[in-house]
Parts: sequence; C-alpha cells; structure tokens
Amino acid sequence: MVNAIKGILISCDIPMAQFIVNLNESMPNAHKFIVYMLDDTHIYVQPNVGEMLTKRLQEFRDQNTYEKPL
Amino acid sequence: MNIDDEEDVFFEEGPEEEEEIQKRDFTKLELKADHINRPLWVCADGRIFLETFSSLYKQAYDFLIAIAEPVCRPESMHEYNLTPHSLYAAVSVGLETETIITVLDRLSKTKLPKEIVDFIRDSTLNYGKVKLVLQKNRYFVESPYPEVLKKLLRDDVVARARIIANEVAEGTAPSFTVSKAPQDEGGADPELLGGTDAVAAMEEKDLHSFEIDPAQVEHVKQRCLPNALNYPMLEEYDFRNDTVNPDLNIELKPQAQPRPYQEKSLSKMFGNGRARSGIIVLPCGAGKSLVGVSAACRIRKSVLCLATNAVSVDQWAFQFKLWSTVGDHQISRFTSDSKERFRGSVGVVVTTYNMVAFGGKRSEESQKIIEEIQNREWGLLLMDEVHVVPAHMFRKVISITKSHCKLGLTATLVREDERISDLNFLIGPKLYEANWLDLVKGGFIANVQCAEVWCPMTKEFYAHYLKKEYSRKKQALYVMNPNKFRACEFLIRFHEQQRGDKIIVFSDNLFALREYATKLRKPFIYGPTSHHERTRILYAFKHSPDVNTVFLSKVGDNSIDIPEANVIIQISSHAGSRRQEAQRLGRILRAKGKPQDRVAGGAEEFNAFFYSLVSTDTQARILPTHPEMYYSTKRQQFLIDQGYSFKVITSLPPADTGADLSYHKLSDQLDLLSKVLSAGDEAAGIEQLDEDMDDITRNRFTRTHGNMSTISGSDGRFYMEYSTGRGRGMGRGQLKKARDPNKPRNQLFKKRFG
Amino acid sequence: MPRVRVISRNFMEMVAGLPPAKLDLLYKRHWTCQAVLRSLPPLAKLYVMRLLYVEEAVPSKSLQDWALPDAQQKHQVAINRMEKLRVILVERKKEVCYRMNPVMQKQLLQALSISKGPPRDVMPGNVAVRLPTPAELDTYAMKQWESVLLQLVSSASSEAPIVSPNFFVIDMFKLAGLLLSLKPNSAPSITDTGFQFLLMDTNSQLWQLVQVYVSAAEDRGTDSGELIGFLLELGFHTVGEAYSVGALTTPLQKVLEELAALGLVQLQKGMKEQWYIPTKLASNLSASLSESSDMQSSEVLGTQGCIVVETNFRVYAYTASKLQTEILRRFARLEYQLPNLVVGALTKESINTAFSSGISAEQIITYLSKHAHPHVAKRMPVVPETVSDQIRLWESDRNRVELLSAYFYDDFPSTEVYETVLNHARSIGGLLWEDASNRRLVVREELHGDMRLFIRRQSGAAGQRG
Repeated sequence: MVNAIKGILISCDIPMAQFIVNLNESMPNAHKFIVYMLDDTHIYVQPNVGEMLTKRLQEFRDQNTYEKPL
Repeated sequence: MNIDDEEDVFFEEGPEEEEEIQKRDFTKLELKADHINRPLWVCADGRIFLETFSSLYKQAYDFLIAIAEPVCRPESMHEYNLTPHSLYAAVSVGLETETIITVLDRLSKTKLPKEIVDFIRDSTLNYGKVKLVLQKNRYFVESPYPEVLKKLLRDDVVARARIIANEVAEGTAPSFTVSKAPQDEGGADPELLGGTDAVAAMEEKDLHSFEIDPAQVEHVKQRCLPNALNYPMLEEYDFRNDTVNPDLNIELKPQAQPRPYQEKSLSKMFGNGRARSGIIVLPCGAGKSLVGVSAACRIRKSVLCLATNAVSVDQWAFQFKLWSTVGDHQISRFTSDSKERFRGSVGVVVTTYNMVAFGGKRSEESQKIIEEIQNREWGLLLMDEVHVVPAHMFRKVISITKSHCKLGLTATLVREDERISDLNFLIGPKLYEANWLDLVKGGFIANVQCAEVWCPMTKEFYAHYLKKEYSRKKQALYVMNPNKFRACEFLIRFHEQQRGDKIIVFSDNLFALREYATKLRKPFIYGPTSHHERTRILYAFKHSPDVNTVFLSKVGDNSIDIPEANVIIQISSHAGSRRQEAQRLGRILRAKGKPQDRVAGGAEEFNAFFYSLVSTDTQARILPTHPEMYYSTKRQQFLIDQGYSFKVITSLPPADTGADLSYHKLSDQLDLLSKVLSAGDEAAGIEQLDEDMDDITRNRFTRTHGNMSTISGSDGRFYMEYSTGRGRGMGRGQLKKARDPNKPRNQLFKKRFG
Repeated sequence: MPRVRVISRNFMEMVAGLPPAKLDLLYKRHWTCQAVLRSLPPLAKLYVMRLLYVEEAVPSKSLQDWALPDAQQKHQVAINRMEKLRVILVERKKEVCYRMNPVMQKQLLQALSISKGPPRDVMPGNVAVRLPTPAELDTYAMKQWESVLLQLVSSASSEAPIVSPNFFVIDMFKLAGLLLSLKPNSAPSITDTGFQFLLMDTNSQLWQLVQVYVSAAEDRGTDSGELIGFLLELGFHTVGEAYSVGALTTPLQKVLEELAALGLVQLQKGMKEQWYIPTKLASNLSASLSESSDMQSSEVLGTQGCIVVETNFRVYAYTASKLQTEILRRFARLEYQLPNLVVGALTKESINTAFSSGISAEQIITYLSKHAHPHVAKRMPVVPETVSDQIRLWESDRNRVELLSAYFYDDFPSTEVYETVLNHARSIGGLLWEDASNRRLVVREELHGDMRLFIRRQSGAAGQRG
C-alpha cells in the first residue's frame, strides 16, 4: 500500500545539506529530525522543525558577516 | 585563542552605534553660498570628505595628505581623519596652525565647526617649538623658548635623560646653553598657499638647549609627543651647513628621472632646504628605491641603509649603483654572508635590521663592522619596509646608530593599531603618501584586476570539516578542498595558455603548497629550499618559456624578487593580514608594458591579476580558528580602501566545463581526503621560517595554528602586525581590554571614550 | 518596478469600467475624447480617423479588411479596446456592425474643424496677482510630494522625522495596501509593498496613488466620471497658469484640495477669487494617463540624481531631503549627515534589514543607479559591479535553503501506479521531488487531499486488475 508521510522538504546546495546533516547528528536521538536523506541537495525532515531550522540557518549566516568598523 | 585575533583589538572600540549617529549629525553646519566650487566637508569629529571630481582636487589632496590620515580613497570621494599625529606631521613639514585653519576653511563647503578649529589650535599650539639636534655625536634639545625647555625638564623622563655639564656649581640650577639661531633660508612648501614657515618665526632669536643621553633620546621624544607633554620635537638636518661630517661625492645619474610623485615626496622631505625625518608611503612597485637613492644624493653624507633581509640588501646595493654615481669603493654590504669592510671615512652601507640589532655574540669581524656603524655619524638612515620592523628592533637600531636624518619607506601604513605612533616617534611623521588610484591612472603602477573566487566545499570535505573530531584538520580541509584545487588549476591554465602570463601561486600552508605543486607539476620554493635550488627555479621562471608558474610559501612575501610575474593566485594566506595582502599585490604592481597601454581604456588596461581563492562556508563559530571567508573579507579591506575592488567569482571552472581538470572523479577526491586526514598535524600547519639569519621575519611563524603555548613569550619575536605582545594569552572575551591602559589615547579617541 | 504603459492601460481600464451613461457624459467634453484617442493603440487611432466621417454602421468584415492579414492579432486588440471604451458601438443586424460613438464623433469632428482653445480659461492677469515662477512651482510640487511620502516613511521607523498626519494621504496609502492598521484605531505601519513603493520613481508612485484615488472616488462621495474627466482635462491645462476654482463644480473643488495635497496643483487665494495652478506633476500625469506609447518613466520633477556608490560599499548622497535620507536608511547604514550630504555604507546587515522588509536586491540596485549623481551617472555600470554583485549574493545567500511543507509518498505497488501518480502530481503542479528508481516522490502539502483520492483510485484500479 502506498505510504504517505507529512513533513518538510528541504532543497539546498551541497554544503548546506551537510550542515543540516551535521546538525541532525549533533542532536540527541529523540530530537533527530531527518526522515530521509533524499539526495545531495534534498532532505526530508519532520514537520515540526521548520522554525528551529530557520533559526539555526540564520545564525549560520550571521557568523559569516564581517562589518567594517566605523 | 588565536593570536591573529589581536588585529581585532582595534575594531572593538567605539560605543554603540546609535549614540554615534547622534553625534554625527552635522546638518546644522552652515553651508557657504559657493559651496559647489569647494571640494570638501569637515566634520566636528575630524572626519573630512573630499570630492575627487572637484577642480581643486589636486591642491586639496596635497593639502589633506599633509594634515590628515587617509581613511579610504576610492574613485569619487575620499575620507580622511584629522588626528593629533597627522597635525604633528603637518607642522613638521612646515605648515603653521593658522595656515592649516585658513586653507581648510577655504576648501570647505561649510563653515568650519568650532570644535575643529579648537582642535587644530590645541593640537598644534606647541608644535615646532622644540627641536632635537645632533651635533658631533651629542644630542641636544633645542628651543628659542627657555620656558618651554624648563617645562619639559619638569618631566621625570626628560630630567633624567639630561646630561649636565660638570662645571655647574652645586646648588644652582643648571643653565641652558645659548646660541644664535641659524638663518633659515627656506620658506614653507611654496605649494601650500602662501603659508609662512613655522620655523621662520624663530629667526634671529637666541636658541636655548640642553644635552640629553643618547640612550634616552627615544624616550624623551616619546614624552614630547602630543599624547604626553605635547611638545613634539622636530628633527631637521641642516646638511648643507654640516662641515663636521665629510661629504659623500655621489649624484643621480642623468637617466634617473624621478616621477612627479617621487619629486613630491622629496619636496616634502627637503621643503625648507634641510632634511626632515619621516616616512614616505608609496605603493609597492611605485619606485621607493629611487626616492631613497635621491634623498641620499641630496644629503651627500654617509648613508646607512637598512633592509629586511639579505636579498633586499643586494637589491638596495644594486639600486644605488643603478641610479647614482656611487662607486664600488663607496658602497659596502654587511650581511651574515657578506661582510664587506668600509673603505674610507664616508660611504653607503647596506645591511639588515637584524645585523644591527643582533644581541648575541658576534664574530670578531662582525664586531668590528658594527662598532664602525655605531661610531659613525650618519647623514641619512634609510629604512626600508618600516611597517614590518618590530618596535623593539627599531628602538635598538635607533639607539645604536646616530643619524641626522631618518627616512622610512613603506607601501602600507596600516593604521588601525597603535604602531603608527611608534613609527611617529621613532622615525618621524609621515611626509607624503601617494594615492594608489592616481598612480594607476597615471600608468605608474599596474591596474590590477582583483578577484575573490568562491569555492564551495565538496560534500565529503565539508562533512568532515563540520565534525568535531576533525577540528584540528579544519584548515587542511578547506585549503585542500578539491573545488579550490580545480579553480586554481583552471586559472593557471587560463593564464598560461590564453594570455601567456607568469604566475605566482602563494600558499602559507606547506601541505597544500607541496600537494598542489606536485600534482600540477610546478616548481615550488619554501623555507628549506636551498639557495642554489631557489636560484635555479627563479632563473627558469624568469627566462624559460616552459616555466610560467611557481609556487611560493611565505618566503616569497619579502625575500624573493620576481618582477616578471603579473598574476598572483593565493590558495591559502595568513589569516586576516591586510599587510600581507597588499604586499603580495605589490608583487604585480610594478607596471609592465608601455605606459600608454596601461592607462584607462588602453590596450592593456588590466594587465595584472590577483586572485584569492576561498572555501566558502568556513565560519567562526563552527570553526574557532581560521574562518577563511571572514578573514578574506578583512584582509582585503586595506586594498578596498585604496580604491581597489574585489570582484566575486562564484563558479570556477565555469559550469559544464572542467572535466579535464584534476579531482573530477569522486574517487580521486576521496583519495585526497584520506591523504589530508592521515597527514600529520604539523604538515597541515604553517611554515616555520628560520633559514635566513638576516631576515627580520625569521621568527614570525614559530607556531602551529591554534596552539598558544608554542608561542614564546620573549618580547619581540612577534611580527609587528600581531601587536607588540599585548593581549597574549587572553581569552577571546577579554579582547576589548587588550588596549594598553597606560598608553594614552590620542585626543580624538579620548573624547569618545570619556 | 511597474512600467508606465501598464499603469496607463490600467487607468484606461478604469475609464472603460465606467457605466455607459457616465462614459457618454464624459465624451461630451472634447478633451476627454482627445485623451482617450491618444491612449488608443496606433491601429485603433487609424480606425477612428477613418470612421470619423462615416455615419453608417460598418460591417465588422469590412473593418477587418483594413488590416493586413498578418496583423489580425493587432486588429483584434484594437477593436476590443475601442469597444470597451465605447469609442465604437456594436450593432447586430444581419451581421456584426460597428459605428462610431456619435457623442465622441461630434466632439472630435468639432475639434478638428475649429481649433479649440484650452478647456478652461486662464484667469485674467490682473486677478492672479503673483504667479509662481516655474522653478518655484517645481519646488512646491516636489515639497508636496515629499511630504506625501514622508507620511509613509514616518510610520516606518522611530528614527524618521515626525510629521503631522495628513489623513487623506494616509487613507490613500491604506487603500493602496502600503500602510496597514493592525487594530482599527492604532497607528498604521508600513507594509512590504510600502517599502517597495518608496524605491519607485515619482511617476510610478503617483500613478499608483491616483489609481487608488479614482477607484475609491465613489465610496468617498465623488462621481468617478467627473473625477476621471477632470484628471484627463488637467493634461490640457498649461502648467504654471492660473485657473479659476469658482468655475468648477463643488465636488471638483473638493477634489482640487486633495490634488493640491499630492502636489498636482497649487491653490492660491486672491481678495475674492481662488484659483489653481497645475504643476508639472499634473501635466505629466495626465499626459501619461492617456499616452499609449511606452514612454520612459523619467523623473517628473527636476530632482537631479545625487547618489555616489563607491567600490568600498560607501554611499554618498548629495541631498538635504529628509525623505531621501529616510529611504537610504532603509538599506544603508548612515554614518554622517551634513547640510547637503549623507554618508553611509552598504553592509550585509543593512542590506539584510532591507531584504526582511520585502525589498529586493534588484530594487536597491535600480534605485541606486536611477538616482546616480551626474558625476557617476555616465560610468558603466553606475553602481560598481562588485557592489551590485555583492548585494545579489547576499540576497541569494538568504535563499540558499528552501523549506516547503510537503507529503512524501513511497511503497508504490508497481512502476505503473508510481508513474500514473507521478504524472498526476506533475499535472496539478504539485511535484517537488521524484526518485523513479526507488518509486518515491514528494508533493506540496496542500495537494495531499487530491493526491490521496487519486492514489486510492489508482490502487483500487490496480487491485482490481491484479
């Protein structure tokens, strides 16, 4: 029988996918969120982690900022 | 923590931005009716904005560079800061307080803020009143105002430095020596809009002076600076009337034609007929050596020329012979390999900072030479690459050698840290600084196309990079990122095959250096490469049409002269060093080809290329050491402020190409990965240079990354840019406090810090 | 950024939307007819000229013969437009026939035979005591328009200068969706569209507001036909001349006050009389409303470009305008403000703030290049490539990861079923990801209901066959 799972599809580039994989691995088992690693640039995750991921990705971006001092 | 972070120290200052913006609202300044015809704005906090498209730009630039520090100088608008140091420099080249205010007001679109007028007055009031004079190997502090000398002597440091002549009777205060001031023949720089020379005001007055201990000269000078006693001492050498020291009979050869900006530098130095001590800032490749040799030919007294390493010593000796009529008997080199004895009582001696400052036991031969250096009174102390010389070494060199005039040359005065003040009191103020873009436009230096190439990490390399257990391998992983390798290979092919260029690839990481060069079958040079081997490789690079690329480690930053290259590719670089970036760029700045082709719109408008390859997504928190992107942005800042622009290239090799490049196959990438992972930690670190005894940089890199304990505490093994050792061993969180509290801030900073 | 033509067509759409009676009333005034004529596509203009002297209804077929065979599409467009605007009226006899709207026909014929003067008489010189000079009038219009935009900006940030609210303008902004009051009586705040609006050129901004103004006319108690007629008429006024307010109907006098708030006209009062002076904004707006050509949306007002962007990401704006300063603040970190210069820097942070309020990289770059200082305007590109590249890179950096709520399907009984379902998902536009070798696919969450039904049917069918 066809099986259907509700979740979130993440589409991104290769390094970002690795970042998410690494994030998943750093979580305790109960909090692991990746359902399927679809391919190098697509990950299927639990439906409830959207907000957490958006926040983590924002932090990741912010660290790459270098502002010239005034 | 990583000592590289110390460059951050300076960036931490400044209160919250909100507050700053409040302070920086100068909309209330009164705009002059004819503001359109005037080129600049002056803000109450010392910031100046200059329109480069104004018809008065050239005059305004020359004026501003004399009184203010450039902040950034891109195409249309320059920014400068007025600081006590910059005003000190202005007075030193003969500008008077009122002249500075009048001219600035004349150029300004708005009425000058009252704060600025007060600031200029306060900062310059005392300038030019005190001089430091060297006479017959003795130092005197000289002034027409005895009350000023008395004031100085109230300071402990100055008082202790004083040498009191024996004949003074006990119980009475020692009096000053009094003499007549010499006639000052020169006025101020005639270009500076009719100001009268500050020095001229002292004419016909009695001069009062007291002698000080030669060993204390530098301390006394420092005490007199604006941030302390605020009577900065002028150092001028009236070489024409120096009958004590013998003349050196040399002059410029007819073919030595200084360019306009070289002339200008010299005119600042010799503005009033005497020789002023100070620093001249010219981009690499703009012909600093001709300025040095020209200065020597004007003073015509004994010259001591200090270079950073043995290769430079040879180059300077060569330049002296190239541009001037100095004979072989008049010039000698003194390095660990070549100890040429002086011939005669006057001449040019070229040596290294290390040789002079060396503190250990010397050979008998060396000892004799060094004694001669110490005992001679030098007309000119010519100091190359002053930005790389650690402060303690300067102190030592300057206290050992007695010179009437000191000229420092550099391409890059990096201004964020406090070294600028070190240089200010050790050598003298900045006399002139050329604008890079103007030199490019004039065709004097190459127009460089700068690009930052973003190389995404491959899946497998990034996966390992992110893992905690490989944290020690992070640098190796991002340097050896196969995508970076492929971008590098692509660029080499492109420039070798399509343009017939000569390419230097720089890698500070030795593992990468060896891997890249071996894989691409290109020669490489690093510390351990023998002199013979270096010569052979460089000869081939210069002369063989088959050797067009050479890989260099840090040794290439200073000690190797390769004027032939016009392309630089950086695959790994010293984290966050703006100086290194500028230095490397300097390698390809020397203009090549015909001048008419190089100007804007010419056939070879861009004939030099500078690529920085960075692995993307290598960030600070995940990676406490060496976040490559972060540093890359930072190191470019200096060049960006000079008006260079860095183009970002995001896909190299271009999409759908590159199947013929290395590491195209996943299996090859995985082989490389396991090689990187199995390599020893030290292999993935940064080179240790300890070969060249003459090289000032020889102890700079005695560390493996991320390991503080390997860094010796002995003062001065540090390369200056890291700071002078303050803040060492402090945690990241303490960085804000790393500024030495005992060092007074300059007045502009004081205001902000309360 | 909306192009002018699109907006002018929209405006004519509104004209076409008027009830026939109102439209015919409008056509009683010859300048309205002329304005509508101007707005027609070239082929339609030609047809009007041909039909002008024809009093009979012309069969649709004959009309069709006037166009070349390969211009049928253009022909159809022309006919449609004319029909919609009631320039031609349909008559169905044995076949479809067209006749020119007699009201319009009469006006146009008159206009052709007697060269008509301006729609309204200029006030006699002795009444209007002192007319503003063209420069003064431009300054006035610019100031008015700035104050309109400041209404929008002042709700954007606490740093913005405080302006006393103009409720008419605020209402317009709300209707345009540029401002939004979360609660009925709370202060309105700027929307994403509002931010984008700020970066548009003056023409586009004006058109957008006027459009809202016209649409809302009926609700606000103004006859939309009368309003449209007056707006079109304004285009035939002479900029800088004074026209009597008293000659207008009472509703139009109220309209004038609102147009004055937008800077389209300046109102002046004499001893007894009151008069209005159209500004450049008005003439340009009206002309553009009825202009069919794809005119360049140049700046209406003489505001010279003032921005210099340097390769080191520093921005220098030669301006004393609060508005321009506030607009810059939307995407730049302001560092210094001088009497006629604002200095700032484009930083990752400042640009990201702009992104989060809905402004795009292209909008920022376009704004910077459109407002370039004359000194750099000739440079190509106006905004240094390194800077525009970087802004775009920052934008794409935000979009590196896309999260979409979805459903994942696997365990298909056969390749056949998998492919049928896959094709269905594709045909309803919901397929996000597929993997044929493992018979897996991912579909948008909102289409799950549809998918479930479809899969059930397929499985059922497959089950029966099996």
